[in-house]
Amino acid sequence: MTEQSTRPRFGVGSRVRVKMENREGNPRTPQYVRGKTGVVSQVHGVIYNPIDHRGSYPPLYSVVFAVGEVFGGPSADKLSVDLHEEWLEPA
Amino acid sequence: MVQQAAPPHGHMHDYEAHVQAVEEDLEYYRVKRFEPRVLYCHRRGLITLYDVLRAAAALPPPAPPDTAAGLEQRIRALEDGLDAYVRGNALASVDVGGAKMVIEDTRTERGDYDPAFRIAKKAHGGTLAERVAQLEADLRDYMRLQDAFLQALVARGALDADRLAAARTTAPAPSPWNGARIVARAWVDPEFKRQLLEKGREAVRELDIPPGRLGKMGVAENTDAVHNVVVCTLCSCYPYDLLGDTPWWYKHDSYKQQIVRDPRGTLATMFGLQLPEHMELRVHDSTSDIRWMVIPRRPAGTEGWSEEELARLVTQESLIGVAEPLAQPPAGAAPAPRANRLTDGR
Repeated sequence: MTEQSTRPRFGVGSRVRVKMENREGNPRTPQYVRGKTGVVSQVHGVIYNPIDHRGSYPPLYSVVFAVGEVFGGPSADKLSVDLHEEWLEPA
Repeated sequence: MVQQAAPPHGHMHDYEAHVQAVEEDLEYYRVKRFEPRVLYCHRRGLITLYDVLRAAAALPPPAPPDTAAGLEQRIRALEDGLDAYVRGNALASVDVGGAKMVIEDTRTERGDYDPAFRIAKKAHGGTLAERVAQLEADLRDYMRLQDAFLQALVARGALDADRLAAARTTAPAPSPWNGARIVARAWVDPEFKRQLLEKGREAVRELDIPPGRLGKMGVAENTDAVHNVVVCTLCSCYPYDLLGDTPWWYKHDSYKQQIVRDPRGTLATMFGLQLPEHMELRVHDSTSDIRWMVIPRRPAGTEGWSEEELARLVTQESLIGVAEPLAQPPAGAAPAPRANRLTDGR
């Protein structure tokens, strides 16, 4: 893993869009947020987690989405989804 | 799901809830824990299905269930059998070709990310007595297959026979009581709460609770303005190595699908929890390396209570965020959780 990929690219408050497809990325990115836009609420950095997987992924963020924007409907509730940087692009 | 669980050692009040919990858990552990391991070893050439068949032929015949026993006794036997099945699954994590099996492998094998690979669960139906009989038969079959699989691994030299024998005895289990103690300390000690929110599991060592080592623990604090709920839509991630295993509904698709689509409505209909309209509701989907727990709001009128008294108000449901803590401690002795289903990866 290079120095560049471990330094978080987004900060708290960044608006980010989740990529639709990313074969190289962590498969643990739910379908329902793909293509959706949210706001970074926490920056967790690179997490060492050898029980769950072999390598480590790029920095992790908690990204907050509005339920109404993700699924439609009148809900004002929020979804906080943890996403790795390789799935995110600036929005 | 509201009020589904009886006290751990009390009289069993609600047979239906116990049987449903065993049905859900047994299929869960077969489909999500056991069979992916068989597939993992099979795909990598560590065993063939014929190895399992050969090992099965060498097993002693299973003991018939005690059908003369009362329903409650049979349901308890099912719960104990389920625990043994879960412990057996933990033994079936073996290294193949020097590569350690990680949780991600199990998720892939069972089709979490690809519906084409998904292992189907069994449907249940009939009267309560029929369902209990069906579970007894299923459990007997599943245990037998598990035994055969473990013996096949021993025969292939992938598993140590002594380790297998020793591991059927259990270590003290992590439990929701850990979570209750963590929350009670956070309620009375602002500095501990700050450390907990900042560092997660590292902070709990102060309470002599083993912190576990499954990635990072995220802690979401409920306040008068924000209520947090935890789900894992892709599987059923939870800091179980620290807080004990989750209730069956946490692993059920109905909860996983509905709580993200209609959080407020799901809390009301599934759990009877009505949140004030002005309160923000935030659902944490444990999609990656962080496993989340909730610090519920401290109930009013508990000023001056001891940590132990406070901890007894904290239910497993309130640690997930689908309920508020109790207003009064439950009757009876302090909790002593029965089950140890916790030695296995999710």
